[in-house]
Amino acid sequence: MARDLRIELRTKEALLAMGFYALLVIIVFSFAFNADAALTLRIGGALLWVAFLFAAMVALDRAFLRESAEAALTGLQTTPASRAAILAGKLGSSFLLMLGLEAVLLPLFAVLFNAPPQARWGGIALTAVLGTWALASVGTYFSAMSVHVRQRGVLLPLLLLPAAIPAILAVVQATQTYLEATGVANYWLQLLLGYDIIFTSLGLLLADAVLEVE
Amino acid sequence: MPHADAPASSSLRPWLAAAGTLALLLIALWWALIGAPTEATMGTIQRIFYYHAPAAFTAWAALLLNAGASIAYLARRSPRADALAVAGAEVGLAFLSINLISGPIWARPVWGVWWVWDPRLTLTLAMWMMYAAYLILRQVTPEGSLQPRLAAALAVIFAADIPIDYMAIRWWRGQHPAPVLFGGADSGLAPRMAIAFWLSVAAFLALMALLVNFRYRQELMRHQVRELRRQRLLQEA
Repeated sequence: MARDLRIELRTKEALLAMGFYALLVIIVFSFAFNADAALTLRIGGALLWVAFLFAAMVALDRAFLRESAEAALTGLQTTPASRAAILAGKLGSSFLLMLGLEAVLLPLFAVLFNAPPQARWGGIALTAVLGTWALASVGTYFSAMSVHVRQRGVLLPLLLLPAAIPAILAVVQATQTYLEATGVANYWLQLLLGYDIIFTSLGLLLADAVLEVE
Repeated sequence: MPHADAPASSSLRPWLAAAGTLALLLIALWWALIGAPTEATMGTIQRIFYYHAPAAFTAWAALLLNAGASIAYLARRSPRADALAVAGAEVGLAFLSINLISGPIWARPVWGVWWVWDPRLTLTLAMWMMYAAYLILRQVTPEGSLQPRLAAALAVIFAADIPIDYMAIRWWRGQHPAPVLFGGADSGLAPRMAIAFWLSVAAFLALMALLVNFRYRQELMRHQVRELRRQRLLQEA
């Protein structure tokens, strides 16, 4: 994990690519919908998370990309680290990368979409942390899967989107609740937490099945 | 490995099974169209229910088979488990499609809309997307031991996702009362309607078993052919 973050900080390639991508999505949405405060109040949560989701897809696609070159994955597995540890490392670095990006995008979203003044940013941040972990946990697993496959870029969203439906539903609902400041989205956060725990452990449990190299 | 000289009775059995299933399907069709009385408020369109709901049950059964076989594959890595997993997913997806197509045809005259984001509808669509993705993954993965392994690893994740999905959409639409979907099914189905319904369930389950069995054998044979070819290549080398 430390190694992945270090590479990332040195090259900045994924960060730049996904950052710019998500920025474009937010800007395009902002003038396509001609966003005013009333609209943001209604669908802001959904718009924000579509942008985050796109960024996440770029990040996750790249998580194992580095290892596909020059049989690096085989090399990685000759180290004493277990496959579950390799997956956990990737998961951690993808998560931090996505979170860092969201920290930049969130204020931008607030400005471009005229976020309502009553919005509860603490709740939104908490939702973002749990939701990002949810996307990263299944996403890293699928990313590891798609290294073995030719059409990598197509496969990842194809697997991630249906599997992440409950998580996406929960983050959008929770974000919307905090944006409107209509209450506390406790059960959505509980659902997210449950999703995080189940898929993180399931992913680590099955790490051998997806990372084994012939 | 190939069973070229299998006894004659076993080659007759699939034909008997197919003929029996066909007969059952025809009887169920007769009951659905003519035998069952016309429903009082919805009229003739209600008859689609005799295909719509049994298709859903059957799809669930087939996908359950896929989940079980996938777990078995990860535990034992046997080609039989993998063949069963493919068969279950393909047949399950087909029945899910019947369910998803017949639903809107019924909903349009009865509800006045083709589609509602109701929990049951949403979940079925989500399941359809998952197992379509599962089959696509199988398509794009190179053959060999990698393909069944990745497919099984995906199937386990998807199977775990379904109950969570169910909870999520329950809460999501919890604020809005869902339209009465199965009001008539569990609570008092007229006796002749019940006959039509359960005959359809039996016929669909038989058809599912038949199709799964065929696909399972076909998939096993494919595996055997590949193994034989590989052995020959090794011998030649």
